[in-house]
Amino acid sequence: MHDTVLTTLPASVSAGRRRWSAMRWLATAFFGGALVFAAVALLLGDVFFLRLATEALIFGGLALSVDLLLGRTGLLPLGQALFFGLGAYVSALVLKEWSASFWVALGVTLVASAAVGLVGGVIAIRAKGVYFALISFGLAQVVSKVVYNTRELGASDGIIGVPGAVILPGLTSASPAGFFLVVLAFIGAVYFGLRYLMDTPLGRLLDAMRANEHRVAFLGFDPWRYKLVAFVLAAAIAGGSGALYPMLRGFVSPELMFFQVSGNAVINVIVGGTGTLIGPLYGTALLTGLRSVVGSFTAHHHIVIGVLFVVVVILMPRGLVGYGAPALQRWLDARRAAREVA
Amino acid sequence: MSAILSVDGVSVQFGALKAVQEVSFQALAGAITAVIGPNGAGKSTLFNLISGAIRPSAGTVRFDGREVTGLPPQRMLAAGLSRSFQITNLFFELTVRENLRLAAQYLEQGQGLLRPLSRSTLAAQRVEELLAQFELARHADEVAGFLSHGEQRRLEIAVALASRPRMLLLDEPTQGMSHADTRDTEVLIRRLAREDGLSILLVEHDVDLVMDLSDHVVVMHQGQKLAEGAPAAVRANPAVQAAYFGEAH
Repeated sequence: MHDTVLTTLPASVSAGRRRWSAMRWLATAFFGGALVFAAVALLLGDVFFLRLATEALIFGGLALSVDLLLGRTGLLPLGQALFFGLGAYVSALVLKEWSASFWVALGVTLVASAAVGLVGGVIAIRAKGVYFALISFGLAQVVSKVVYNTRELGASDGIIGVPGAVILPGLTSASPAGFFLVVLAFIGAVYFGLRYLMDTPLGRLLDAMRANEHRVAFLGFDPWRYKLVAFVLAAAIAGGSGALYPMLRGFVSPELMFFQVSGNAVINVIVGGTGTLIGPLYGTALLTGLRSVVGSFTAHHHIVIGVLFVVVVILMPRGLVGYGAPALQRWLDARRAAREVA
Repeated sequence: MSAILSVDGVSVQFGALKAVQEVSFQALAGAITAVIGPNGAGKSTLFNLISGAIRPSAGTVRFDGREVTGLPPQRMLAAGLSRSFQITNLFFELTVRENLRLAAQYLEQGQGLLRPLSRSTLAAQRVEELLAQFELARHADEVAGFLSHGEQRRLEIAVALASRPRMLLLDEPTQGMSHADTRDTEVLIRRLAREDGLSILLVEHDVDLVMDLSDHVVVMHQGQKLAEGAPAAVRANPAVQAAYFGEAH
């Protein structure tokens, strides 16, 4: 019964059109905060933190794709980095060999990752529960090993020297603030797109599948079909996010497909708040920052992240936003009630 | 009245166990047909086979003149056959309203799945109807998992009805209900058949309820059909008395 809060929130919003729900405040705070951060960084002439924040947003896209599957459809993907890495490689190849256009690289990557997602989905979706998780994990292992051993793809070195992507005439991904804003816009589009999706019949079917997949078929809907839709969409989101990575860093390597990346994405989602969509973005921002900051003091930052993960899971099993949003909502309701009385 | 459902020589085998052996019967349109039998008689298996949860190893099921043998549940529903479950099978973490809305969403099949819910008026209207009909309106925004057992059983039937099926399969609808709730459910089922013209097939444990409610009774025993007929005739049948009433009472 842990998920009651998550599922009653959207319902209450649609029922009475509450002015602003807690989720809406949290989303506004995230994207508004990112804009303020960009303005401050630009004023101070910072590059390092802008680049780090851009990377956090990119991994935030991967986390959103994990949340769509784990938090909204009830599928635990342990190999989602497959699509992220695939997107990074496709984008790197397009930029290096074919076209310097951001839009071409992103478009080709979205199509390619959705296509691979369709094939992977047909294989993985048949399995349920832990078996789905293991197949997703296995697929990523296989593909990452193939890439690791393919000389044409740079083998263990990956692809280096990827040129900056041209977004608009005069704006390339080499511009720290400019590219940060472009990535923010992309992640914003994904986030608000998913929010919209969750309030459509399709989104509610995904939620229903998480709650009780067995019954969905008896309501006249083929669960397999809608799980596949979710899987392909998640693949495209992960791939699209991955496409941004070589634009930022100028290289890709097989490590992007490794379990480390898939596992981190799941941890980011759980720490931020599974199923809340905004939570995974907060979780990724927080943990990417921590990994970098703690990592500059000690090489043992995995220990710090690991301990934090354990503490959050024990004390706040619904994650930071899963715990914080209802509290904020109660505070907002109380304040509104007090104002109406006065 | 004509037969809406014809089950013809169906068998189901689980390994060496013959759960259902060559059972045939018909359910008439607009009537209440009941399948009874002691535990392990194969009634639930027969029921699952008709609702699409399992595939028969032999025989056919025809619904409204169309063969539906072995179709998956979503296709059975599309054909107009909907079912409820003996063990309450709801979306426990979603609200009562959302449970019904999901089920009523089927009515809007042709309208696409990417519209905002606010435009989903047909489903919303159906939800309000069901909330009133099943006296669940005051629990509409409660989470289904927090309802009382009797309320969950009512919601279970309401969810099965939301898509406006032509035939409703009820698997032990009064399972675990209090006496008063059982009476209410009986009235409700009778009204669905008599007033709304719904064809109903139910599996029940409660023999008295079945005898009161049904137009036609099929008795199962050890995977086979033992007898069928009007309630009074079935009750008077010596074979039924020996095999069933003898054991159960």
